[in-house]
Order: sequence, then structure tokens, then C-alpha cells
Amino acid sequence: MEGKQEYYRMLRRRWSFILICAVLTVISVFFALSIGLYDLSFADCYRIFVEHITGNITDVYADDIVMYTRLPIAVFTVITGSVLAMGGAVMQSLLRNPLADPYTMGVSSGALLGASLAIIMGTSVSSVFSERWATVIMAFIFSLIPVSVILLISLRRKMTPTKVILIGIAMMYIFSAVVSLIMITSSEETLSEIYSWRVGTLESTKWETIPIPLAISLACMAFLMFYHKRVNVMMSGPNSAHSLGVDPKNTILIQISVVSLMTAAVVSFTGTIGFVGLVGPHIARLFVGSETKLLLPASAVFGGLFLLLANCIARVSGQYGLPVGVISAMIGCPLFIIILVKMRRRSAWR
Amino acid sequence: MRLIIDGLEFRYSSTSVLKDVTLDANGPQLLSIIGPNGVGKSTLIHCINRILSPNQGTVLIDGENVSGISLKELAKKVGYVPYSANDAFPLSVVDTVLMGRHPHSTYKSLDKDLDIVYDTLRLLNIEHLALRSFDELSAGQHQKVMLARGLVQEPRILLLDEPTSNLDIKHQMEVTRILRDLSQQKNILVIMISHDLNIAAKYSDTIIMLAKGSIFAIGTPSEVLTRENIKEVYDVDSEIIQSRGRPHIIMLDEEFDSLDHSLPEDTYASNTVR
Repeated sequence: MEGKQEYYRMLRRRWSFILICAVLTVISVFFALSIGLYDLSFADCYRIFVEHITGNITDVYADDIVMYTRLPIAVFTVITGSVLAMGGAVMQSLLRNPLADPYTMGVSSGALLGASLAIIMGTSVSSVFSERWATVIMAFIFSLIPVSVILLISLRRKMTPTKVILIGIAMMYIFSAVVSLIMITSSEETLSEIYSWRVGTLESTKWETIPIPLAISLACMAFLMFYHKRVNVMMSGPNSAHSLGVDPKNTILIQISVVSLMTAAVVSFTGTIGFVGLVGPHIARLFVGSETKLLLPASAVFGGLFLLLANCIARVSGQYGLPVGVISAMIGCPLFIIILVKMRRRSAWR
Repeated sequence: MRLIIDGLEFRYSSTSVLKDVTLDANGPQLLSIIGPNGVGKSTLIHCINRILSPNQGTVLIDGENVSGISLKELAKKVGYVPYSANDAFPLSVVDTVLMGRHPHSTYKSLDKDLDIVYDTLRLLNIEHLALRSFDELSAGQHQKVMLARGLVQEPRILLLDEPTSNLDIKHQMEVTRILRDLSQQKNILVIMISHDLNIAAKYSDTIIMLAKGSIFAIGTPSEVLTRENIKEVYDVDSEIIQSRGRPHIIMLDEEFDSLDHSLPEDTYASNTVR
């Protein structure tokens, strides 16, 4: 059956994009390990990594830098990029809106408000937790408020994708207004702290930071992959989805809750990192199409790779490095426009 | 397959849309629902596949009440072709049609599902479009793809919301003819909403004429499409002629016809520049 074989060939070509991105990500991790003030080559990093694994450490100082400073940052960057891009892909497909991203539900503004409150409360909160953990916990709790409000409203009212987006945006404005109020009434030092949290950074990552967001992210991503067919069917619209055996209301609420949870898990640690959640899925779409079985893993691997490379550039930019969100937008947006214009509507990977 | 609708009522808040709709349809056939805008045609088919829940009454498919079965099981019995299709993120034709296999599919059924999809594309003569993107197709091809998606659900009843509304005359005839043929070949009850009385008259086995939320007339095209019924339901004068055993409706507008329609001399349209 020639037609079917042709379809399988197309599928294989598209899976190859995912495989290439995954291989490039592994290579880029070693590249990322070699970037920083302490000069190490790509080969050095590979050697140090192998020595660490086999237990034959020859340079303790270099091992400390590579394995305990740079590697957790690289690993967490890949996780963050993957979570944001996969979250963006699910939100866009679910809400049938190319402008949706993982922050559409107000996760980022909720996290920012939580973090800002933790920062201004300072020592009173940090008597219970360390200041960093207090900020993370407050950011996490507040980032889930918007989706909780939507879930509460949905118990009494019918929810459509448009209503979900509008409630998310309304919550975003409310939180932004409160954050602005906090910022204009706070001291210079607090203001600077809130601002640096707002632009997002991955540089403070340590190994002990990773397990919780990693566990939440992997569980959520596995859930999204397991139920990807429902998201795929949702692209045909609520009525069609219903007639294909998918409950549109429950699917929207469950999937956005899962996306919000995994986004909150990483954003609480990193601050708001923009761009990759919005544009990452669109770039993946250009190579693998919009079918979710391929789009979700493609977005995840591409998002991880892209944020990792952007973070490498961010670290060597300026005197003290630049926020990764700035670099990802400055490089990614022109790249995205070029790809979009060159490829028009056709997938490059057919 | 047998569809029984008994005493169906549907209201949006306090506005009554459908009231006391009762219907018994049995056997493979093309059944067209006609009626003016806002009369409740779409609401009726949305009540059949439970997109809307009626305030009163029951819908039985082969004796089974649709309100008592899971959505997935219902999707195996009732297929639906919507008025408009997804245009946010267009998929390839195969992937679009493959969506219709969702109620049946498992994680290992792709190969079998693809066989069914390609067989259906071949049946509708659109196999050559299989890997094309949905948004690159013409309106007629769109409609066939959406029809294919409904058919791969392997339903007992196929509902179509104005399947010919964006099509030219040739494609309107082609799509409706396919629907009539498929009802016999696949042994299914095909229910379509139509605004084109002549298309409905030419190809339908049964016509339901709705007026003010109720069934005004039901029967063969010749029984339903009469001058009196059309005047009563649409408030339009018409002339009915019989063509090859089926009614053909000519719309009349006596008031317009009686007026002088001659244009001023300098009003023209031509394919040459004067």
C-alpha cells in the first residue's frame, strides 16, 4: 500500500528531527559545561565528566566547577526549556490559539507576585525557610491561584477556550497591578531584587534545586504525552471533540492544570523566562507539523536545546552575563521570522 | 439502525428552541432537515449526539438511550461533520481524517486505523490529497475530508451540519450524491441539514421540515415540498414542477417581478473597456 508507506516515511523524517535535536542537546550540554570564567575546553569537560563517573578524579577544582556548578545549571536549563515549550504546545493546541503559551493562565504573574511578597516580607518569612526557599514556595503557591480560580468558576459555569484565556489574562492584570504597587512603594534594594527575579535567571541552580521541579515536570510531561490524543482531537474544536468521544470541558481543565503545575514548578525557581514557551512550539511545528504525538516531544527537545544555547550566549554576554530571557528573544525572534517567511506554510520536514 | 426521538424539548435559558419533537427513523437512508434560519435544525442534531442536553425527552439509538452511554461509545455510534473545520493549526489530510478513529483507536492500532483512513480516502477519490495540508485544499475538498473523518468513525448514524453550504453547484451535487450512495453502501442513517431545497429534494429519501422548533412536515420530498408548506414555513411563494419523479422548486417574487428593473443608460459592466 504505497500511500500508507509514504505516510510512514513522513513520520520517520519527522521523528528524525526529534532525534537530531536530542543528540544536539547532549552535545550542547558538554559545550555549555565549557563556558565560564574558568577556562575549559569541550574535550576537558568530557574528560572530567568521564573521570567523575568512573571515580578517577584528577583535578578536584575543575571537577567541582563542571559537576557541581555548571552541570546542574545545564540540566535545569534543558528541563526548563522543555517544560515551557511543551506547555506552550499543549496550550496552543488545546485553546486553538497561536498566541497562547504556558503563561496564558497567569502562572508567571502569579509567581512574580508570590516572589515579590516573599522578598518584601524578607526575614519574617525566612525565619521558617531560607529566603530562597521562601521565595520559591510563595511563587509556586501564587502561580497556581489563577488556574484554581478557573477550576472553581468551571464548577458552576460552562467554560469555553475563549473564557479560559480571558480569565487568565484578567488574573494576569490583577497580579501585575499588585506587583506594580509593591514595586513603587518598596526600597531600592527590594526593587532591584524583585526586578532581577522578574527577568529570570538559571545561574543560581544547584543540584539540590533540581529534584522537586524535575519530579513534577517529568510526571506532568508523561501525563501530557499519555493523553496527547485528547489534545489533538481538541484542535478540531469543542463540538467536534465532543462528537469524537472527548469531553472538551474536562480536557481543557485537566490539561491546563497539568501545564500550570509543571510551569509553576520551574518558574518558581527560575523567574519568568519568556519567548521559548510561545515561539518554541511554532518552530517545532514548522518541522514536524501540528499533530500532537510529534509536536509535544519535538517542542520539548527543541525548547531544551534552544534555551541551553541561549543561556550559553547569555553567560558570555556583557561584563556579568545577561538574563537568558533577553538573549532567547533577541536571537530567537529574528530566527523565527526568517524561518516563517522562508518556509511559508509548508513543513520543512516532509 | 433506528433513531427514535420522543418528546424532545430544548431551551436556552427561557427561550424555547425545540418543543415536542418526535421522530422515528429506521433503515439506511439520506434524511434532510430543512427549515428557516434559527428554527432549531443544528440544535436538533446537537441533541442527537449530546453536544447539547435536552431539557425533556429522550433520544434512542437502536433502543439505547444516548444519555446513558459514555461519550466514547456514543462516538462509535454517531458521527458528526461540523459546519466549519479546524483552521488554527491545519494538519495533513491523513492526520485530520485519522482523528475520526479516536473512539476506536488504541496505542497499537495505527496501522489498522491507517488502512481504514486510506480506504475511505480512496472511496471519496481524495487519496492523492493524503499528505497535503488541510489549509491548501479547496472548499469541495475540505468537505470531502471532513466527510471522510466522520465515516472512519464507522458510525451507525452520520450527522452533517450544512455540508454543502460553501460549495458550487457541481460540488453540492457530488457531495450530496456521495451521502446518498454511502447511506446504502455502508448501511447507515445519514442526517444532513440543508438550506438548498432542490438539492434536498433531488437526493433525499426523507425530508423533515422544521418550523418554530417543531416538526412541521415529514415524509418523502414530494410529500413535504409542496407550495403550501413552503409558503407556510418560509413565507415564500413558489412553483413546484416534477422532474424525474422528484419535486423541483422555482422561487417566485411577484412584487419584484412586477417592478420596472431597467437601468440608467450609463450603468454597465463589460469584459471590454468601452
